[in-house]
Amino acid sequence: MKAKEGVVDFLNKVLTLELTAVHQYLLHASTCGNWGYARLQHELHEMATEETGHASQLIDHILYLEGSPNVQSLGTVKSGPNVSKLFEEDLKFEVEDANLLREAIAHSAKVGDYTTRHKLEDMIKETDEHIDWFETQLRAIKQVGAENYLSEQIKK
Amino acid sequence: MKAKEGIIDLLNKVLTTNLTAINQYFVHAKMCENWGYERLHHHVCKRSFDEMKDADEVIEHILYLEGVPNMQRLGTIQVGETVPEQFKLDLKAEQEMLMLYAEGVTHCAKVGDYTTRHMLEDMQKDTDGHIDWIEMQLELIKQVGLEKYLSEQIHKEK
Repeated sequence: MKAKEGVVDFLNKVLTLELTAVHQYLLHASTCGNWGYARLQHELHEMATEETGHASQLIDHILYLEGSPNVQSLGTVKSGPNVSKLFEEDLKFEVEDANLLREAIAHSAKVGDYTTRHKLEDMIKETDEHIDWFETQLRAIKQVGAENYLSEQIKK
Repeated sequence: MKAKEGIIDLLNKVLTTNLTAINQYFVHAKMCENWGYERLHHHVCKRSFDEMKDADEVIEHILYLEGVPNMQRLGTIQVGETVPEQFKLDLKAEQEMLMLYAEGVTHCAKVGDYTTRHMLEDMQKDTDGHIDWIEMQLELIKQVGLEKYLSEQIHKEK
């Protein structure tokens, strides 16, 4: 099926973000693992898997719309010297992702592509959940202190 | 543990080829699915996951050696417009990977890093398996013809 105007461009933009997220979460998961925080490693690894799922759906959908999926672009992968810093970068990233998804959803509605809109809405739901998770962790760190928080992350 | 000379650079090069391969194979798998070749979709997708597991292992090993994994670099992703073209491009990618592993194994032995060498040797074995499979498909296409080959790819293996 031929895509409506601008839809494939939006989907490719979202795809770039998702692929960048996979790289960032894989890195952050292993970094936490290396620091001894098995629980965080597990959580972040799950997120990388979810983002891979999103990338997979986007590629499928772009091909279905007879477009070319762009898997060559990669955004900036951010890292940090401690867990709080990693979370802050991840949160920033997810917020950016949610903003782009909102734009793409509005565009899909405008051109009348409700299938794409529906798919993107499913994605934004998970993105919101990620945002919530990072916000919760950062708040917990603030409330109980980094040491207490981290000591709870050693066991899965 | 501190890394021996040149090891982190080497591992980061391996990481880049793995990350590039993940994306290339993933797109190829999805294209096969879109064309209706379920069996190929399944096979190529698995190859992409194999690369992801390798990438994961390399990242962990770089961190263990107190290096910084480079997640920012991506090689050129070559997308084939037909099944045989995809196979040829994937074969090229795997062969380049194999050469990099061979170089890496030699270097590790030279500087005496046998843990890294062992890891690379395991990965090399997987790459050999991938090359073998792709070569087999290309040979099959040559022997039975593209149409017959593709008609066998519509159903997934049980």
